Amino acid sequence: MFKSTQALFGGLLWKTPWRLSSPQKARQRKRLRSVDRVVDTVSAALERNGQTSKAVSRWFAEMPREEEMLPKDKYTLFDKKEKSYRKSIHKLPKWTRVSQRVNPPGF
Amino acid sequence: MSYFRITLIRSAIGLPRRSTDVLKALGLKKRMATVFHSVSPSVAGQIMKVKELVHVEECQYRLTKQEVHLERKPDPGYYIEKSCAEQRGELGGQ
Repeated sequence: MFKSTQALFGGLLWKTPWRLSSPQKARQRKRLRSVDRVVDTVSAALERNGQTSKAVSRWFAEMPREEEMLPKDKYTLFDKKEKSYRKSIHKLPKWTRVSQRVNPPGF
Repeated sequence: MSYFRITLIRSAIGLPRRSTDVLKALGLKKRMATVFHSVSPSVAGQIMKVKELVHVEECQYRLTKQEVHLERKPDPGYYIEKSCAEQRGELGGQ
């Protein structure tokens, strides 16, 4: 049955909440930790074989770990069009399957 | 010689073509599929491309598809004391 709601009538009404809920944040932390775990396993296995990988060493050089990250970087990302230069990370397409950890310095 | 045990946890639907191709190269065709690859920098690089989608362990032996499947098989709830053939043998001896 058709129900006239603001979302269906107005073309430009965003139903995406502007901030993350606390379970969403908890799951985000869990995902960050799982990526850390994968990289740790890969690097430990390579080290045991006396090998190195450019991708792994670059990750360790550039990316902070979950526990080192600021909450600001875990849940928001830089956006030049926002008033505060930050928007919630769930606005990022495919945000649960991409690594977005660093932001421009000073923002 | 150790191996990477790689399991695809999240699908690459909607991600760039590159991620799908890396998964294909690793031999991961559907979710929860498990493959074994020997530890090498090239495999490590491939894993790093899809690190958000997979679960990785290091193991000493490469398991076959059947062995991986049997790991997931639940306990049947009974055990076999004696097989039929054994019992027949005993009866025949009497």
